[in-house]
Amino acid sequence: MWKYVVRRTLYMIPILFGVTLITFLLFNVAGGDPAAQMAGKNATAERIEEIRVLYGFNKPIHMQYLDFVRQIVTFDYGRSISSKQKISTMIFGESPELSPVLTSLSLTLPAFLLTLLITISIALVLTVKRGSKLDKSVMVICLALLSFSSLVYILVGQKWLGYELGIFEISGWDPSWTERWRYLTLPTIIFVILSLGSNILFYRTIFLEEIFQDYVRTAKSKGLGQKVILFKHVLRNAMIPIITLVVIQMPFLILGALLTEAFFGIPGLGGLIFQALNEADFPVIRAMTVLITIMYMVFQLITDVLYSVVDPKVTLK
Amino acid sequence: MSETLVQIKNLSVDFSTDNGTVNAVKGISFDIPKGKTVGLVGESGSGKSVTSLSVMKLIPNPPGKISSGEIIFEGKNLVAASEAQMRKIRGKKISMIFQEPMTSLNPVFTVGDQIAETLMLHEGLSKDDALDKAIDLMDQVGIPDPKTRYKAYPHEMSGGQRQRVMIAMAIACSPDLLIADEPTTALDVTIQKQILELLADLQKKYGMSILFITHDLGVIADIADSVVVMYRGDIVEQNTTEAIFTNPQHPYTKGLLACRPRLDKNPERLPTVSDFMTPDGKEKHNPDADKLVEKAFRPITDDQEVLLEVKNLKMHFPLQKGFFGGVKSWVKAVDDVSIKVRKGRTLGLVGESGCGKTTLGRSVLRLIEPTSGNVIYKDQDITELSKSEMREMRKKMQIIFQDPYASLNPRMSVGAAIMEPMVIHNIGASKEERLELAGDLIEKCGLPREVLNRYPHEFSGGQRQRICIARALAVKPEFIICDESVSALDVSVQAQILNLLLDLQEEFQLTYIFISHDLAVVKYIADELVVMNKGKVVEMADCVSIYKNPKEDYTRKLLDAIPKGIPKTLASTL
Amino acid sequence: MGSVNVSTHTIPVAEEGAKANRNSLWWDAYYRLKKDRIAVISFWVIVFYVLLAVGCRIGLLFPHFAETNDALSYAAPNANHWLGTDFLGRDVLARAAHGTYTSLLVGFFGSGLAVVIGTMFGALAGYFGGKVDDLIVWLYTTVSTIPYILLVIAFSFVLGAGLKVLCLVLGLTGWVGICRVVRGEYMKHRDREYVQACTAIGASHFRKAFIHILPNVTHLILIQFSLGFVGVIKAEVILSYLGLGVEAGTPSWGVMINDAAQELPREVWWGLAAATGFMFFLVLAFNLFNDALRDALDPKLKNK
Repeated sequence: MWKYVVRRTLYMIPILFGVTLITFLLFNVAGGDPAAQMAGKNATAERIEEIRVLYGFNKPIHMQYLDFVRQIVTFDYGRSISSKQKISTMIFGESPELSPVLTSLSLTLPAFLLTLLITISIALVLTVKRGSKLDKSVMVICLALLSFSSLVYILVGQKWLGYELGIFEISGWDPSWTERWRYLTLPTIIFVILSLGSNILFYRTIFLEEIFQDYVRTAKSKGLGQKVILFKHVLRNAMIPIITLVVIQMPFLILGALLTEAFFGIPGLGGLIFQALNEADFPVIRAMTVLITIMYMVFQLITDVLYSVVDPKVTLK
Repeated sequence: MSETLVQIKNLSVDFSTDNGTVNAVKGISFDIPKGKTVGLVGESGSGKSVTSLSVMKLIPNPPGKISSGEIIFEGKNLVAASEAQMRKIRGKKISMIFQEPMTSLNPVFTVGDQIAETLMLHEGLSKDDALDKAIDLMDQVGIPDPKTRYKAYPHEMSGGQRQRVMIAMAIACSPDLLIADEPTTALDVTIQKQILELLADLQKKYGMSILFITHDLGVIADIADSVVVMYRGDIVEQNTTEAIFTNPQHPYTKGLLACRPRLDKNPERLPTVSDFMTPDGKEKHNPDADKLVEKAFRPITDDQEVLLEVKNLKMHFPLQKGFFGGVKSWVKAVDDVSIKVRKGRTLGLVGESGCGKTTLGRSVLRLIEPTSGNVIYKDQDITELSKSEMREMRKKMQIIFQDPYASLNPRMSVGAAIMEPMVIHNIGASKEERLELAGDLIEKCGLPREVLNRYPHEFSGGQRQRICIARALAVKPEFIICDESVSALDVSVQAQILNLLLDLQEEFQLTYIFISHDLAVVKYIADELVVMNKGKVVEMADCVSIYKNPKEDYTRKLLDAIPKGIPKTLASTL
Repeated sequence: MGSVNVSTHTIPVAEEGAKANRNSLWWDAYYRLKKDRIAVISFWVIVFYVLLAVGCRIGLLFPHFAETNDALSYAAPNANHWLGTDFLGRDVLARAAHGTYTSLLVGFFGSGLAVVIGTMFGALAGYFGGKVDDLIVWLYTTVSTIPYILLVIAFSFVLGAGLKVLCLVLGLTGWVGICRVVRGEYMKHRDREYVQACTAIGASHFRKAFIHILPNVTHLILIQFSLGFVGVIKAEVILSYLGLGVEAGTPSWGVMINDAAQELPREVWWGLAAATGFMFFLVLAFNLFNDALRDALDPKLKNK
């Protein structure tokens, strides 16, 4: 088990190297003069030169890369251009209550779990009733749901549920743990609705693929009922692709629903990125790209371990 | 006559497909007596598996549906039984084992749990009691060390052991009827023998009936008391095993029995079903088929020209790689093999799955690069040839694969497939000339010229194999490796292809290496025989002597495991 | 289920010639799609959009889409402006219609570029294996480790805004999924016996990889392209919201939906409705068509 974890961790090294390389190339090389970009459109030549020295863009390219790697390893990303705050503080926050990471999670984690529960249940029902009118109409509804832009959900949700009906807070934030739910309810509902279409279709495909496997026929030939077959045999096997999908969705958990946060003024990571983009805050975006990627890799590691719990074939590799 | 357990009356099963309804089973009737084994025999598409699934009412619906008929079990008609009633019968009174033990077991549960599940369901045992019983059952079906093995997952067991687990699961509640759907087809011949013996033992112990479905008449003779022969959804003949084998009535049965290569006979040509029967099922009188001329034995002598010699060939695959790419352990798929193939003759290469015979064949042609060793073709070491020299060399050496479905590119017409090698090697001056040549070849292989415009999916397995042979012949080779080339085919088609291969050998003076797991087939076609096990050559001799008196234990074991195709009742009198 | 073998054309005894009709995978798929009424309707909806986009582009339809009129700011739908006007008094219907061109262009080139890159890398990795495979797998693992939206943001941030850049960004970031699919298929086909038979007749790598294997994976690439198309159209909306989309002034649904954030509080709903409606029917048609296309082309999913 530990050997496995260590091996997976070691495997992350070349990937991490690749991530830093791509990010570095993208920001420091591909975009032209990074100093000019950071300084903004109306900057004077002196201001650009000042930034060039301040951020070390005058050094040779390989030294710049080493600097960048050192930043990542030491978790010291320098300061934001616009707010002059330390970037690490901006991302992790001064206290848990103010931490954008935890703020994002308090929106996305419950929303995500709720989505999982709802969509898997619906998909299971559809699997049982496959081919029926219900199955077909739910599928069409899912495809229709998928055909709206996520922005539309947020706009309409905010307008209708928040403004017109006045049930929920439209936007705003209270960092206290006990009070923040008031501002989170509406975004959570929107997040769930937003994910319904694609998730139901995906899980339905997974379950349908499993249901035609030979082991299901064996289970039937033992005299097991449909419920046992579905909830014990099929669900357990389907866990493997389900976990895969969950991993794919992980970045959204950390990143928060970027758009939702931006719209509802929730100061999570998504909101932070949105702000940085508006201010063209180059170091913040670069740092967040790398950091969030690293967090994502940690999640991947955890799911790799989860795989070994779910899939007996993985254990001893 | 003993008491009847299950009565099948006028059973019809329909499948709806894109092209309309297909009558998979057409109103068949037969009985399964108590405590006896009924063999249900037929080739692919005969409806035998559909019949067996119908008894359990496991036909996938849609698209399948029992359209009429009755299945009477314990005085009740199962066709009319509700799903809830069927659930009480499945696994308890009627249970089933399948062809693929790997996919038929749930990969994420331990085998102990899967056996115990049946017991908890039908016998109301507690989990602990059920597991105890499961361990006991695993012991009964001959799984060594069941006390620790019950915690194993299916992928941690061998194919034979998995099938034993399936059997343990099936007999857990001492059913009245066990349906075995091709339970040994995916297994090696030695394992097959063990499983058949196990089933016979368990039958004696529990007094259950067995419905044994297979395409292999040899297996049927070994295990069944009576036989039902199915052909295109219909029963053509049913009788006691002895009567079927000694005095078949229907021309199809006659053909099936005759076209199977046997160890005790070696005819010059294999009869085929079409020698006995017209396509619409009428009897055909064919005097040639009755005269099974014994094939003249042409001994191999040392002075015969050696076309191809393999010297100390090794093919090792890395099994486990270290972190920095260093290889920790190897699989020795082919381990120091030396063989000689004589011009115009056939060398048979036999062994069980994983013995390295296929790897050997492919490394001889350098389809995979051997680790070390030499392959000398007419004084030329082909392992030392450059890529372009090797490409030139490929004109002389060809291969025909096992799976006729995978060996043709589905997006390429038959004509294009046969002409492609000609294009690569500049055979034929123009497209018209190549088309002409391809037409000649396909006719030689027994298909009309018109097929050149068609695509592979329009053909049956045997027809595809003919196309593959025509493609191999397109470069006018001298030497062909047949890698399990008839193993995926029905026995009646197999006979036709074997005959074709022999005809072509005579006409073009071809030299073959014939790779197969089926000793009877190899004996029919080969002059000389090499037995392989675990990457090494166990024994090498001419065909007649190796079958008459095998020198090595392994060869003897292999020969012994082949179903003899002689009914139990008759075997004792011989 | 493997053992239920309902063979309609295999005739074991006589080996008679099979059916004469030439129905390969593509013909099969075509007939299936033709029978599927939803697929046919979806197809014509897509054709309608394409014609609309071309019509707008060549100036045949809605030629005055860029005309501003201060006096008509936020006019509600009326006889002259069926779907009202926006802040600058531009006709909403005309802008939504012109947005079709933007969306289709981004969809076609964005998804097209992704397919070209993905297919090339996937084919190389899957066919050659070994070191080439290691390198490409490393590359796409790395790219896929960076969360997609961040990657797109980073690319757009660095390369700037604009229609061409947008296509480039979406292509450069969207190839990973296709690469994975194509690589997997190539690995599967490389070991198939028909490819080995090609080696045995002396065929070159090029011949095997592109004449033999590629036609066998084309249908999957087509499906991926079609799926990517929808993904890219939706991504354009989000990027426009983040200020990373098309140049200012280019008519685009993304920009229109994005403007709705300011319009909705003033009870101006028609901009959002128009853009959403236009996008909805195109994307829905694409989704439904994709669904039918996948069923028709991917035999694995042919439901029983």
